Amino acid sequence: MDKKNIFLFLIILSISCLAGPLMLSASDEVSHGGDIIYDKPVKAVLFSHKVHAEDLGMGCDSCHDGIFQMASLTVQKEADFTMEGLSKGKYCGACHDGSMAFDSDSQCARCHIGVKGYDRAQGIKSGE
Amino acid sequence: MKINTENLKEDMNTVSKIERREFLKIGFLITGVFAGGTVLSLASNIRGAFASTGEFTEKYPYKPHYSMLIRQNLCVDCERCIEACTKTNEVPSYGYRTIILEKVVPDAIGQKREFIPVLCNQCNNPPCVRVCPTRASYKDKNNGIVMIERKKCIGCKACVLACPYNARYFNEEVHAIDKCDFCFDTRLSKGEKLTGCAAACPTGARKFGDISDPNDFVYQMIHQIEKQVWVMRPEAGTKPNVFYMKA
Ligand code: HEC
Ligand code: HEC
Ligand code: HEC
Repeated sequence: MDKKNIFLFLIILSISCLAGPLMLSASDEVSHGGDIIYDKPVKAVLFSHKVHAEDLGMGCDSCHDGIFQMASLTVQKEADFTMEGLSKGKYCGACHDGSMAFDSDSQCARCHIGVKGYDRAQGIKSGE
Repeated sequence: MKINTENLKEDMNTVSKIERREFLKIGFLITGVFAGGTVLSLASNIRGAFASTGEFTEKYPYKPHYSMLIRQNLCVDCERCIEACTKTNEVPSYGYRTIILEKVVPDAIGQKREFIPVLCNQCNNPPCVRVCPTRASYKDKNNGIVMIERKKCIGCKACVLACPYNARYFNEEVHAIDKCDFCFDTRLSKGEKLTGCAAACPTGARKFGDISDPNDFVYQMIHQIEKQVWVMRPEAGTKPNVFYMKA
């Protein structure tokens, strides 16, 4: 390694040492996709990144390596984003099958937050 | 009287001996307090109360004896029922014929909320009919639906206060009290088999049928011996025709 290359190496090293923590704190702010609320076909289903990625400690690629895109509400465009699709093991149903996580055919109001939950999330006061 | 998940709370002591006997007569055995303590649970007890199912069906005074079964755990509050009801029956934005109560149980293990559809119970012993000074509110002699003859209604709201299910409101458009009539005017009388809400329900949480017909789904679900079935506010002695269970 000649002097010029060592110099370059040192520069790169120092940049990455400086930038490392910066990048970490940046990714800390957007460490996942937050809450996603589906409103079709029915209002409404809540998916929580906090529960899955933080509390349950699931890695990003357990979902973002084929099951879901990293763009909210993309999956809502699929015709089989329904209970039938889920029971065939698609989307949430890949895990919510009764063995890895509670069955999508049970505890309906655990995923479903309803019109009431949707309105609350949108800050709409229900007329009732 | 507003109905909400707070004032739904009852305990067994509020049910008098007479009420218990009445429930036994229509085939239900009071078994305990429903999880969470909100409503009394009643188990079907046809065998205990009657010698044969034939004798039991005779206890239903109407033909058809319209009834709704709410399979509570299937309700996801999508409110397609409310949408359908509003459209079918021209319910104004300030009114309602059915609502969905939300019960939040923050410290439950697993599911932390429950949705409870509520509508007119088409009671066999309806307090609204009893208090109506003009007989605008009446019980249909054939099918047992609690109806309102709008031109007789003077809007005194005595019935609104008397109803333990908060099922009535004053409709300014028609200048009369309005309430659920199991879609009799808008659907059943025109040959439809289901109420608008039951037809719109995507989960089967609302099932409509004839509780006096052994071939009817509602009859069959309610008369399973081992299943818990309950009604709202049994202590009011209204003999409701809306039943609740978990699917
Ligand atoms: C249990 C499954 C699951 C896990 C684990 C998961 N995600 Fe997601 N993620 C989703 C779903 C579902 C969506 C929405 C996809 C859709 O609606 O089409 C999503 C969307 C996103 C989005 C887009 C959000 C938006 O507003 O457009 C980002 C960013 C994201 N995820 C990042 C992450 C990161 C980073 C991790 C790991 C820390 C992670 N996710 C872990 C399921 C998961
Ligand atoms: C990669 C696997 C996986 C996928 C995909 C997944 N989940 Fe989960 N989910 C889990 C696991 C594991 C649990 C926790 C185990 C349990 O409670 O049974 C869980 C728990 C939950 C809970 C309970 C949270 C709580 O605090 O009670 C809800 C609600 C939920 N998931 C909704 C969804 C929805 C909606 C989707 C689809 C948009 C989805 N999940 C997709 C694995 C997954
Ligand atoms: C693991 C989470 C999960 C559970 C548990 C769950 N659902 Fe769903 N459900 C979804 C998702 C995701 C969708 C599609 C998005 C939407 O409609 O908002 C959906 C859509 C639906 C739909 C509309 C589409 C269709 O299939 O007709 C109905 C109806 C429905 N669910 C009923 C139920 C009932 C009833 C239960 C309980 C037996 C239940 N769901 C349990 C996640 C769940």
